[in-house]
Formats: sequence, structure tokens, C-alpha cells
Amino acid sequence: MDGDVLLQAIASGLLIGMVYALISVGLTLIFGLMEIVNFAHGEFLMLAMYAAFFGRSLLGLDPMLSMPATVGLLFLLGVLTYRGLISRILHAPMLAQIFATFGLGLFLRGLAQFFWSSDFRSVQDPFLAGLSGGNVNVGAVSLGVPQIAAACLAGLAFLALYLFIDRSRTGLALQAVAEDRATASLMGINSDRMFALGWGLGAACVGIAGAVLATFYYIYPSVGVVFALIAFITVALGGFGSVPGALVAGLLVGLVEVVSPTLFGFSPAYKYAVVFGFYLVVVLVRPQGLFGRF
Amino acid sequence: MPALLELDAVSKRFGGLDANRDVSLVVEEGQIVGLIGPNGAGKTTLFNCVSGFFPPTSGSIRFAGNEIAGWAPERVLRAGLARTFQVVRTFPEMTVLDNVMIGAFARTNRAGEARARAAELLAFTGLAGRAHARGADLTIADKKRLELTRALATQPRLLMLDEVMAGLNPAERAQAVTLIRAIRDRGTTVLLVEHVMEVVMPISDHVVVLDSGRKIAEGPPRTIVRDPNVIAAYLGEKYRPRDEGTA
Amino acid sequence: MNVDLRSRTGRWLVAAVALVALVLFPLFVGGGSWLNTAVLVLLYAGLAQAWNILGGFAGQVSLGNAAFFGIGAYTSTVLLDRWNVSPWLGMPVGAIVAAAFAVAVFFPFFRLGGHYFAIATIALAEILLILFTNWAFVRGARGITIPFVRGPDRRPTDSWAFLQFNESRVPYYYVVLGLAVLAVATAVVVERSKLGYYLRAIKNDQQAARSLGVPVLRYKLIAVAISAAVTAAFGTFYAQYLLFIDPETTMRLELSVLIALVAILGGVGTVVGPLLGALVLIPLSEVTRSQLAGSGNTLDLVLYGGLIMLIAAFQPNGLVAIGDRFRRRREAVRPAGDETERGEAPLVGAPGTRN
Repeated sequence: MDGDVLLQAIASGLLIGMVYALISVGLTLIFGLMEIVNFAHGEFLMLAMYAAFFGRSLLGLDPMLSMPATVGLLFLLGVLTYRGLISRILHAPMLAQIFATFGLGLFLRGLAQFFWSSDFRSVQDPFLAGLSGGNVNVGAVSLGVPQIAAACLAGLAFLALYLFIDRSRTGLALQAVAEDRATASLMGINSDRMFALGWGLGAACVGIAGAVLATFYYIYPSVGVVFALIAFITVALGGFGSVPGALVAGLLVGLVEVVSPTLFGFSPAYKYAVVFGFYLVVVLVRPQGLFGRF
Repeated sequence: MPALLELDAVSKRFGGLDANRDVSLVVEEGQIVGLIGPNGAGKTTLFNCVSGFFPPTSGSIRFAGNEIAGWAPERVLRAGLARTFQVVRTFPEMTVLDNVMIGAFARTNRAGEARARAAELLAFTGLAGRAHARGADLTIADKKRLELTRALATQPRLLMLDEVMAGLNPAERAQAVTLIRAIRDRGTTVLLVEHVMEVVMPISDHVVVLDSGRKIAEGPPRTIVRDPNVIAAYLGEKYRPRDEGTA
Repeated sequence: MNVDLRSRTGRWLVAAVALVALVLFPLFVGGGSWLNTAVLVLLYAGLAQAWNILGGFAGQVSLGNAAFFGIGAYTSTVLLDRWNVSPWLGMPVGAIVAAAFAVAVFFPFFRLGGHYFAIATIALAEILLILFTNWAFVRGARGITIPFVRGPDRRPTDSWAFLQFNESRVPYYYVVLGLAVLAVATAVVVERSKLGYYLRAIKNDQQAARSLGVPVLRYKLIAVAISAAVTAAFGTFYAQYLLFIDPETTMRLELSVLIALVAILGGVGTVVGPLLGALVLIPLSEVTRSQLAGSGNTLDLVLYGGLIMLIAAFQPNGLVAIGDRFRRRREAVRPAGDETERGEAPLVGAPGTRN
């Protein structure tokens, strides 16, 4: 088998894996904080992509330029979701929690379809795609500039998130709430504010991911579904609530998705089946995920 | 005639920690045996090994003629050895009657029979008045009594009670003692694990004392209370900082 | 007449009245869109009832039941398509295949807790969806069209033998009614038997259940086998009802979620819950779809999603809980001492079985 082809697949897999990791970290952050899975996560991503799209078509802003606004909007959406919906179901049965966020997802998808139709759209002439003809060649490996930029941005976002959680006062308060709500409140930490912040941050991560994805992906109301599915798998693979777990699992999922068809010579049509199968095998060996605290 | 339960050199290690080391003990049919020891002595671990919740690292556990070390809990139960939990585990969303029926189903497949058996036992343990309350809505004392009733419904030859007295007031303790005697008088052997020595001594025929995972003494209650090793183990505890709770 | 509807006689009475009403229903509505809605209500009532056995009684939340549905639909349809086997035979074969598949696959899954289990079931159904989409033997993404049974005049006709009704849709209604009654009967039998008690014990506390001799894994496997078999039977019906199946319509994630949703909306762990859920949710979704989606927009999704959100936020224990709350209020004013009216065995003087 051709080594160059394999190398190409590995590089592409790692790039998309970084994006998966970024989408997943928002999910895992929220779970780590309050043990709720946000089933509307994919719709958050979809909205971020539309924000990037309309920034371009209405205001003429490149997705990279409008990204701060996109991230801000998503942060707001996250906080609103917490205040309006999640805070009411904090102590509800797990089933009710699943369906509250699932209902939110349907609601948002329906709104998107209603207002923006189910047409496939794409951002016109994104700045990144124009850079050096849209591709960078390293030896025999050729990579798209938007994909490279996406991976780099994801990496930066991870670094920023890590520094925030691990170094800042607010980040430490966030950890304290995740560890033990009651004790944190004794220490004067307002867990309700921390939860809202967690939802804001979780959605903001998706905002970054959506802005970069918009430069090389079609945008349509149900675009979030497949990404959300991969994010669930990634989060469970890494261990619910683990930030480093999301990074490693995202990269693994990206690798498995892109490399396995090349390596074993089956049709790419099966790539998600392989990803899901990979998840099942891993989680059956380690029921708490790779980095999970059980 | 061999003893009902016979432990021979049972050890349990967690990583580098010896929770139990070479514990041997014998429970004769028809007795009430007390297993006591200070906090962290390894009583509950030993309990979990015998009832099948952990496999012992080494040693032999013989019950009613079978080597049961390493058996799954449900198999141990079917062999006739039932237990309760130190931290009560009633089924919170089920009624008291249904809780006991789960135990009774160990010996029958028919719901009507299980219900009748459960009702009979609830009357015996004095919980009949609460039969339709949810498990979650009982007081601690009633929850413990429910666990005991539930275990009894499995028709065990040996009933192992893990700290049934803890958290009870003196009046409730007196009731529990009466009940345990009545259970023995019905023909069920009882192994009683307790942290507090005073409650075990008056009702036990035989007492085994654990400390730091090892057996340090055994014998009739009269001799145990005077055993210098036992006194040292318990005195030592009195001088420990009091942050360990009641467990 | 003064019958307490919650007593044993009362409940049988309600069930009998409901059944008679259901049997007579087509006489009043004919074969139009109401009949179609009724078929869907019964279909989802049965599917939710099947889900409830594992998800409600045993507390093992599956979001992959569409896999069983698809296996049922595909087994009977492939048998029919390739070897002209009647769906009446294909239905039990599909049920057995689905149950065997469920037992084999869930055997390792049951080690997983909470969300890990739910995500694993999603992954399982998605894998199956992808495999079927690319599997030439079952005609891949194009799906399988079931050919019409034709009369002597070459026109599509009705055939009980091949479970296909082209002249009137009413027989479909009776078939799905029969299946739904079967599903409810299964749930009732499970609920009252040792199996049901053990499943509820497993849901409440697995360790305590084991300590009382409950073989937890074996009972979970029995539950998933029953759940899968019933779900698959409805899959066969659905294939015959549409006379066309493809992987998307029979195995997609939305179907799995809807099945669970119907049960949860009604109230998990009860027999009435899934029926109530289907009765409310399915007509609602059909009405919003026909009234709002007809004009080319998708407000139905918005309404539907919004409603699910509201129910989860304000009635997290399902519609059954509304009734319970109402009942508790009534019970508070009822005089004490009429316990036996509830149809429970008297506690005092029950015969012993031992000693």
C-alpha cells in the first residue's frame, strides 16, 4: 500500500479530528458540570454556521471576521438555554432532561427550516479558501487551508479553555462546582451562575467550530445532526466530563473515520459505521470511556 | 456434623491494602454470632466476600457443604445465605410489600405465593401497617426492618445483618434485639456485624473480633469483654480523632 | 352506577369499553386520514409499550429500538421479496431474529451505565442503518417495494394471506389493533409476574436486587428480547402498511427517539403511560403536520419541539403523573378504611407457605 496515501489520510484525519474535539468539548464541559447531555448541541452548531453565513451574505463579513460575534451570540444562546430551560429541569429524572434538550433541538431545527428553508448554502469566497490557492503541500501531502486553519483554531481554543479552567479564579470555581455543588456553595460560589457560564462556554466552543466549518461545509438546517452524533460518541469515548478525553477521543475519531477506509480498503460509505463500531469496542472494554472517572 | 459457615484463612487485598488477612471463623447452625471490630477493621469487606459481592483474594468459604468463594451474589443467595446492607438499600420507588416480594420470589415463581409469603413476614416483623408505603418514605428504623424482612423472605439458612443497630435509638434497638432473637427461634442462623460492642454482647452466642483486617479474638461474650487485645483495639479507637461518623 | 374505575373490576370495565370503541371506530370515520392517524396511534402505542418493558420497567434507556423495528420490517420483506413467504410467517421469524440479535448485542451493553448505555444503543442502530444502506442484498438505499397482490382482473386487491389491503385500508387498522392489544397484554403479564417485579427491582437498585437472588443480567436480557420481538412485529406490519421500506424510514434515529418519547411523555414504567402518550402525541404531530406543513413550511417541527420541551420542563414524570396528582387530592378527602376497594390482597390472615 502507498505510504503517501496513508500519510495523507492520517493528516486529514487529525485535522477533522481537531474540529470534532472542539465540538465535543462543549458537550463534555456541560456534562462534567451538571451531568446533563445537551441533545441540542448539533443545532447550536447549525446556528453558528448560519451566523457565519449571514455575516457574509448580509454584512459582507468573512466568517473569520465575524467569528467573535458568532461566538458571542452562541455564548448568549447557551446562557439563555440554561436560564430558560435547563435550570428548571436540574433535578428532573434523566429521561426528562434528555427530552427537554432533544425538544429544544427539534424546535431550533424547525425554526431554521421555517425561516431559512432547507436549501444547502455555502459561504461565498471565504478568505481562507483563497489563501495560496486553497491548498498547502508538504511533500506528497496536500491539505486544504480552511481545514488547517480550523484545526489550528481548535487547538488555540483548547489551550485557551484549558488555561481558563485551570488557571483563572472563575475556572477554579467552575471546577469546584463540578466536583461538589454543596461544598462549593459553602465556599460562597454561586453554582447557578457557574452553570450558566458552563452553558455559555460550551455553546461558545461550538460557535468557533461553526464559524470555521462554515468556510468549507454546506450549511442546512439538519447539518448539526451528524456532527452531534459524532460528538456524543466522542464524548462518551473520552469519558463524559473529561476535557482532555474530548481532545484525544476527537483525534481518534477523526483518524478512524479517514484512515480506516484507506487502510482496509472499504468504501467510505461505511466510515461512520466504523467510527461507531470503534466506539462500541472501546467502551465495552472500558465502560467509563478513556478518561472517565467512574 | 460440619458447621453451617466455615471461613478458612480468607484474605482480601485491594491494591496494596490488606482489608482482610487470614480470617478464619465458624458459624454453627442455630447460633447468633456477632462479628465486631472498630472502624476500618474489615467487617464489611469480609461480609462482601462471603455474600459474593467481591471474590476473596485467597482462602476458602464453605457454606452448607459447598465451597462458595467467588460465587455471584445471586448464587450465594440461592444456596441459602442472605444479607442486608450497612447503608440501607431498600427499593425506593417500590412499596414495602413489593420490596419483600422481591425476596420471596427467590423461592417461588408465582406472584400470589410471593405476595402471601411477604404479607406473612411483614406481620412477623411488625411492618404490616406500612405495607403500601413506598420504600423511600420509611424512617431509617423501618427501612432497616424492611431490609431484614426482605432478606428473610428469601428463606435463608443464614442471615447476615450488617450494622442493623447503627442509627437506631435505644427503644428501636430493643425492638431489633427482640426481632433477631425471634428470627433465630424460627430456625434461621444469624451473623451479626456491629461496630458497637454493647449491642452485640447480650444476644450473641459466640463473638468474633476483627481489627485491621485480622481476627484478634473469639469466644463467648463473657470472655471477649475481658480480652486484653479487644480492649486495646477498642481503647485505641477512643483516642482517634472523632471524624469518622457512625459507619 | 358507582364503580371505582381503579378497582380491578373498574379497570377491566374501562379496558372493555375502550376495546369496543376501538373495534367500532372505523365504522364512524371511514377510511380517510383519521383512519391513518388511528393506525399510527396504535402502532406507536405498541412500540412504546415494547420500549417500556426495557426502558420503563427495567430502567435501561434504549435510543436504538429502531434497529429492532428495521430488523422486523426487513426480515419479513426480504422473505416475501425473495421467496414469496407470507408476512404472517415473516412476522414471527422477524421477531425471533430481532430477539436473538438483541440478546447477542445487548449482552455486553448491559455492563454500561446510564448515558453510556443510551449512546451505545444509538451507535448500534446507526451502524445497522449504514450497513443496510450499503447492502446490495436488501437493495441498499433504494429500499424494497413490495409488489401488489393482484386479482384476476390484474387490479391490486386485498389479501389476508399476504397481509396486504389495497381496496380498503380498514383491515390494516384491525391488524394493528390486534398487535397493539397483544403488546398491551404482554406488558400486563410482564408487569404482574415475577419478571416485572424483578425488572423494577433492577431499576431501583441493582446491587440490592442481586443480594436478593435476582440474576440481573439474565432478566435484562429477557426484557430486551421481549421488547425487540414485539417491536419487530410492528416493523413487519409497517412494511406491509406502506408496501415500501428503506433503511431511513425503518431505522433512523428519530424513530428510536420518538418511540421512547411516546412512552416517556405518557409516563414510564406503567402500562397506561405509553397508551396515553401515543394518544396525545401522535394525533398532535399528524394534525400539526397536515395543517401547518401542507403550506410548505415546517412550523410543525417548531410546535412539536416546543411542546416536548414544555412537557419535559413542567411535567417531567409524564401525563400519568397528572392523574396521580389529581388522585392524591381526591384520596385526601376520601374517608379512610376503603383500602380493599383497590383490589389488593388483604394483608392479615394470608396463608403462609413455610414453617
